[in-house]
Amino acid sequence: MKETGTGTLGIEMPEKNADPIIETKDLTIRFGGHVAVDHVNLRIEPFVLKSIIGPNGAGKTTLFNLMTGQYRPTEGKVFMKRKDITRLSAAARTRLGMGRSFQLTNIFPLLTVLENVRVAIQSRKGFGLNFWRNYLHFSRVEDEAYSILKDVLLDEKWALLASALTHGEQRKLEIAILLALEPEVLFLDEPTAGMPQEEVPAILEILQRIKEAGDRTMLLVEHKMDMIMTLSDTIAVLQEGRLIADGDPEEISKSEAVQEAYLGGGAKRE
Amino acid sequence: MAEATPVQIFHMEEKRRQYRSGGFFLKVGLLALFVLVPFLFPSFKTVDLAMQIIIFATLVASFDILLGYTGILSFGHGMFFGIGAYCVAFLVGKYGTPSYANLALGFVIAALVASVLALVISFLSLRVKAIFFAMITLALAELAIVLATKLSGFTGGEDGISLNMPGVLAVSFNAGNFLGLEITGRILTYYFILLACLGLFLAMLRFTHSPLGRVLQAIRDNVERAEALGYKTFVFQAISITFGCVVAALVGGLYGMWVGYVNPESCLGVLSIMLAILLMCIIGGMGTLYGGIVGAAFFMITETFLPDLQHLAKDFFPSAVLLHNVLERWHLVLGVLFILVVIFFPKGIIGSVREFIDRRK
Repeated sequence: MKETGTGTLGIEMPEKNADPIIETKDLTIRFGGHVAVDHVNLRIEPFVLKSIIGPNGAGKTTLFNLMTGQYRPTEGKVFMKRKDITRLSAAARTRLGMGRSFQLTNIFPLLTVLENVRVAIQSRKGFGLNFWRNYLHFSRVEDEAYSILKDVLLDEKWALLASALTHGEQRKLEIAILLALEPEVLFLDEPTAGMPQEEVPAILEILQRIKEAGDRTMLLVEHKMDMIMTLSDTIAVLQEGRLIADGDPEEISKSEAVQEAYLGGGAKRE
Repeated sequence: MAEATPVQIFHMEEKRRQYRSGGFFLKVGLLALFVLVPFLFPSFKTVDLAMQIIIFATLVASFDILLGYTGILSFGHGMFFGIGAYCVAFLVGKYGTPSYANLALGFVIAALVASVLALVISFLSLRVKAIFFAMITLALAELAIVLATKLSGFTGGEDGISLNMPGVLAVSFNAGNFLGLEITGRILTYYFILLACLGLFLAMLRFTHSPLGRVLQAIRDNVERAEALGYKTFVFQAISITFGCVVAALVGGLYGMWVGYVNPESCLGVLSIMLAILLMCIIGGMGTLYGGIVGAAFFMITETFLPDLQHLAKDFFPSAVLLHNVLERWHLVLGVLFILVVIFFPKGIIGSVREFIDRRK
């Protein structure tokens, strides 16, 4: 089926060349004398999956915290769609369309799986302040929550307390909470951290699905190199707080600076 | 429509069972009992006991909104109760004539004063830390007692204020005999307060089951997560605190109406009121609302009937001197009972029973 216009759209690919959705300018934070993030200039194009890698203590999570508002930078700025958001709180950034997962699992343990997602949807829809109607009247929200749970392969566990889930399932739930916010940019901080090996493929599948849906920008901090190489569109490499390389997986795996700093002279890479 | 999801099926089931479950019958039965108390046990003592249970159950439920649903410990709940009682007393006692309009105005003023004060306290203390809330409310509660005692020209000091009820609620009112019961102003006041407390209780149930109530639960569970979802947690906590305190003030007004007399000790006392609220809430079970009813009933009934136990013991076991000595110190027995409840019902009576039933399923 051919329609006029699709061809030109395909050639121009406007999304890929669009303005960066997130941009940092000389982003720096010092903790006492230690410079955790050191003048990082990062551009994140919309609808790509960008991974941030680097040795332990390179400042990956700190960089995340600066971008999502948990920390305020000592120096430098963060932009979202060209708007300066450096001074905005984490909550305000969430409302602008950032969704953030944490390295340590961060869910509501005493709410049911469904409730976890429901509360997140409620936040996006903004009727959390409604106190005069029974929450069961908002059944469409529950339907939506259920369909998100399906996306992350958790629908059969909807009635359980979140604390009763396995660690891997809790990470899935966390991703579901994030998806419920319909963020434009997803920040995933080691989604497979501390997870038994057999549960990793499920997370990989979920991330792959989100990526294939093509409507979100994703930032990923991970240690599992094979996972990064298959998923990422671009990779940024941090070392001691500085950005030492930024490019597609091919470039990064060939870059000498990266191999020296991180991959141990190329010995570890396959 | 697509096939119903398990969630929808679950809710449909729930709705179908709603009016057939044991819990529902229990609630209706309890309400019926309170309605019938004046007919079944027309003595002053039992009617007064039932009324105190109703009033304190509602008060404890409002405290539970703060402690159980918002996760905030306030020592000022007794103060809000007292403020309500004083506001009503001012309007129909000291500064106004007993009329329906003044009575209603007293409740409106009570709600306004309570909401303003609760908001101010929230803004002053919540931003800092939750523990600060406990400290500041304790200080304010003590201050309120001092003010009520020292500003005797305004508040009547230690002597307090007597309330006079208007029209059909007045003590002197008598509408004759109905089914063997003298329908006096007292009895009508009883039903008025029962109705008002029922309304307040339903409002609180609705509040905790609203989307806002759900967010509160989420905040209590994990503040950081809730903030990361974009919720301004402070706003939610402030609303919830204000709601709980306004209900407390209204209940205070109702209490004033029933007792017909307010003074600093009986309405504002940190030990006499506040500690009782806290105990009832913990005994009944935090975060359940219904725990308030159980806690208040337990507390009031033991406090009323334990002193009688010693007479009973003297009648039935005239020679057991040790037993008499123990029962004369009935506060001791009360204390032991509390300890037993806390040991055997760690989540409060309602909480632990619910857990037990869930586990059996």
